[in-house]
Amino acid sequence: MLVTGKRNLLTYTIAFVFILALNFLLPRMMPGDPLTAIYGDEALVAMTPALKARLVARFALDQPLWRQFGAYIAALFRGDLGWSYSFNAPVLKVILGALPWTLLVVGTSLILSTILGIVLGIESGWRRGSKIDRAMLAGLMSLNGFPDFFLGLVLLVVFGVLLGIAPLSGALTPYSSLSGQALILDVLKHMALPVAALTIAHLAGGYLLTRNTMITVLKAPFMLTAKAKGLSQNVIKYRHAGRNSMLPVLTMTGISLGRVVAGALFVELVFAYPGVGQLTYQALLSRDYPVIQGVFLMMAVSVLVANFAVDLLYPKLDPRVSHAH
Amino acid sequence: MHISLKKEIKQSQSGKAGIIILLVMIAAAVFAPLLSRYDPMQQSTAPLLAPSFTHWLGTNQVGQDIWSQLLYGARTSLMVGFGVGVLSLIPSILFGVSSALIGGIYDKIVMRIADAFIVIPMIMVAILVAAYIRPDLFVLVLLLAALSWQGGARMIRAQALSLKEMGHISAARTFGAGLFYIARKHIVPDLGPILLVEFIYGVKRAVFIEAGLAFLGIGDPMLVSWGTMMRDAMKFSYLNVWVWWLVPAGVALSTTIIGLTFISHAAESVLDPRLRGEVVA
Repeated sequence: MLVTGKRNLLTYTIAFVFILALNFLLPRMMPGDPLTAIYGDEALVAMTPALKARLVARFALDQPLWRQFGAYIAALFRGDLGWSYSFNAPVLKVILGALPWTLLVVGTSLILSTILGIVLGIESGWRRGSKIDRAMLAGLMSLNGFPDFFLGLVLLVVFGVLLGIAPLSGALTPYSSLSGQALILDVLKHMALPVAALTIAHLAGGYLLTRNTMITVLKAPFMLTAKAKGLSQNVIKYRHAGRNSMLPVLTMTGISLGRVVAGALFVELVFAYPGVGQLTYQALLSRDYPVIQGVFLMMAVSVLVANFAVDLLYPKLDPRVSHAH
Repeated sequence: MHISLKKEIKQSQSGKAGIIILLVMIAAAVFAPLLSRYDPMQQSTAPLLAPSFTHWLGTNQVGQDIWSQLLYGARTSLMVGFGVGVLSLIPSILFGVSSALIGGIYDKIVMRIADAFIVIPMIMVAILVAAYIRPDLFVLVLLLAALSWQGGARMIRAQALSLKEMGHISAARTFGAGLFYIARKHIVPDLGPILLVEFIYGVKRAVFIEAGLAFLGIGDPMLVSWGTMMRDAMKFSYLNVWVWWLVPAGVALSTTIIGLTFISHAAESVLDPRLRGEVVA
């Protein structure tokens, strides 16, 4: 079901403040020393008193909460997300190192699942009630029920372990020092299964939405006009009905991005793909809280920005909306 | 709304399938102690056994019986699911109906907050919070319910707004009915199908997130969970144990979610009459 509210800047501001507040308050509301909650027990054992004092000063932990919040925000604007103890590097650097792989997988899956979802939705809606339509509907709704990590595991076992035609883990063959075409092929081979898992898991959203709008659009009077004009079936299907059915899917892109990103967190873990998901998992294992917080902040904010961009673009895509104002 | 929800779901093939799936899962969860001889948490000295007459699905890496873990996993999954489903309906109804009836600034504030939560990916918030507090069953239900009422509040508000304009409510108002009376007598009872759809959505999301958190290793270690089973089985994917360990857990989880999807899809056709008739699969 589509939740269409007119979202504005205020909505995004509230969401942004909530994300910041959650990141700021969670470690400070935990029982015990906030420094422990921020950095985890393991990190503190290795800390010298001098370093501890420096960290207290840095987070303004000896000052009232609102001043701590000021220090936190100021650090964020400097691009300072904190220090990761398990990686012994700035959190921002650690995340930026993993980000390209996640962008690659998430971007490819989002584009593939959107296009496939729209095309299947148009074809299915066009043939509504037929056997093909019913099979597609039941099939895709079932696929929708498979959690991305289970799909990933099944693909891994079938194509990686049983058939042995896909690499089991990683994003590159280690120590192979490939270049040029061979390198691209290697990257593609490694990303095939994670991308397939994410694409299949997120196909149904766009499909169901397109199919539903398609069914409504097909009943519109202009469809009859198009038919009466003697236009070919494909022109009617894609240019007249399809174009209208795409709009709801595009408005959902922001929300879908959030889902695919969250899915990637799990799928990367299954394939040991060295992106942000794998990073999050390692951080969870070693209780490297600054990294977990950094990942959450970056991912959540990118999803917000994407949603906002779609909201801004929407009137341009659908002239009816801009004329309505 | 004069379409019978029960009839609508029964008429749709997938709706029926969904209900049967859900009933099987509920039966597995309720009768778990009768259906297996082993305590799912009890460890034994025989790890990684293949299926046999004593252990139907073999044992896991610490010698726990996988079949009974599968059954008790349904308990965890459904308890979290139904708990969140029921609990998140309360704020959904409260804020949705009051927003529609009171309107004005209050409506704007509530809806802005709801919208803000809708654009934040809920599972990421759940991961972050769970990483800190390692929630047990009860806290997890509270956390997920707090994160999942917003979409429902929006839907309920929209429905309540259209109900508010109906004749019988104007009539009640002229007889001097207060807002609370109208909400209780005339609006909430007419929300039927929306409540069901929102409830199922809540259950579905919660079942999924519970398994996801357990898969990441930030669930309650004292609970048997399909997510934990898959996480443990994954580490042994080079052995052929995945056949009776990974796949049953994954299939149980997926089937539960598919069943819920089927029911909500059938119920949705009640909400959107344009989808009815020929298109019910």
